[in-house]
Amino acid sequence: MIFRHFLIDVNESNAYVVACETTRQALLVDVAAFDAALGGFLEDQGLTLTTIFITHDHYDHTGGLQEALARYDAEVLAGKGSVGGCQARKVAHGDSVRIGELAGTVLATPGHTPEGVSMALPGVVFTGDALFSGSVGGTFSSQDARQQVDHIRKHIFSLPDDVEIYPGHGPPSTVGVERRYNPFFS
Amino acid sequence: MTSRHYSPAPCALEGCARNAVTGAQRCWQHLENRDAFINALASQDLENAWLVEVDLSDRDLSGAKLAGARLSGADLSRTDLSGADLRGAFLDEADLRAANLSDANLEFAVLGGADVSDACFKDANLRRANLVGTRARRADFTEADLYYSRPGNADFQEAILANASIERAIFRKANLAGATLSGSRGSPNLENANLDGVKR
Repeated sequence: MIFRHFLIDVNESNAYVVACETTRQALLVDVAAFDAALGGFLEDQGLTLTTIFITHDHYDHTGGLQEALARYDAEVLAGKGSVGGCQARKVAHGDSVRIGELAGTVLATPGHTPEGVSMALPGVVFTGDALFSGSVGGTFSSQDARQQVDHIRKHIFSLPDDVEIYPGHGPPSTVGVERRYNPFFS
Repeated sequence: MTSRHYSPAPCALEGCARNAVTGAQRCWQHLENRDAFINALASQDLENAWLVEVDLSDRDLSGAKLAGARLSGADLSRTDLSGADLRGAFLDEADLRAANLSDANLEFAVLGGADVSDACFKDANLRRANLVGTRARRADFTEADLYYSRPGNADFQEAILANASIERAIFRKANLAGATLSGSRGSPNLENANLDGVKR
């Protein structure tokens, strides 16, 4: 599996490229801005961007979506049918996503936004703004906050402890670290 | 960095569910000649290496290129990692007690659940580092850069953060009792942190 993290200069957002080493098909997770480093990496590695997964519909995760779609014939996947002003294929908890020989699974993680989704791939999970290193996403109500915590416990903390967590902002973590030490859960 | 540690080879020992360490065919637990393995590390490219649970205690790894390496659960106690490149490395639950990490680059590194008590991080780059639940008693972060790091639930009792940058660092529920913050710069999040006896 090819993996690359990008720190985007829009609200310190993270973007990630995951690609299949065999087919060179690539997945982009969130795109606050489509900067030159992102395009350069895809080109240098000989990757074809086939899928863009949007964890939730906030500008600091979708701001570069239109530019990405202008450059690449990629399918957009999200928890609702339209994100960042672009059409998306709506995905739901348990849906499978294939990137070449890589198999991903969509996990529902609403709370920060109603349509929030995460994606698990072998050894990694992308959590958007639902779960951060040592924190969780902001919510508008206590009900949303409870919903978020419940979904994280059920869908993220049920993954093996050594699975790496890649959030929408800030550093990565592991399921074991967050389950044991995140102040919102411990 | 282009990480490949997500596809490590499985340990060659039948029935073992662990992954082989980089440069060998077996996991650390089943490696037969550990000394030879460690001696050979110096000549290897260790970026993105799989080194889970290895024992590199008391070794000299100063200046080592370990960006993106997976060192979860490793024993690095008293190891000299000064000036090492550990950007994005996973050191979760590692034993780094009394290690020397002065001038090391730990941006985006994961130190969650690690024990760094009595370690030296002078002038280290810990920008955006994961320090969730890290045990950092008496650790020395003098002049270190902890911008937007995440020391939530961490134990920083009697840690030295003199002249450190702690802008946007999130010390939520951290224990900073007796820590030295004199000369530290920035506005950290100290929500529910224990600040008893903090020296400013």
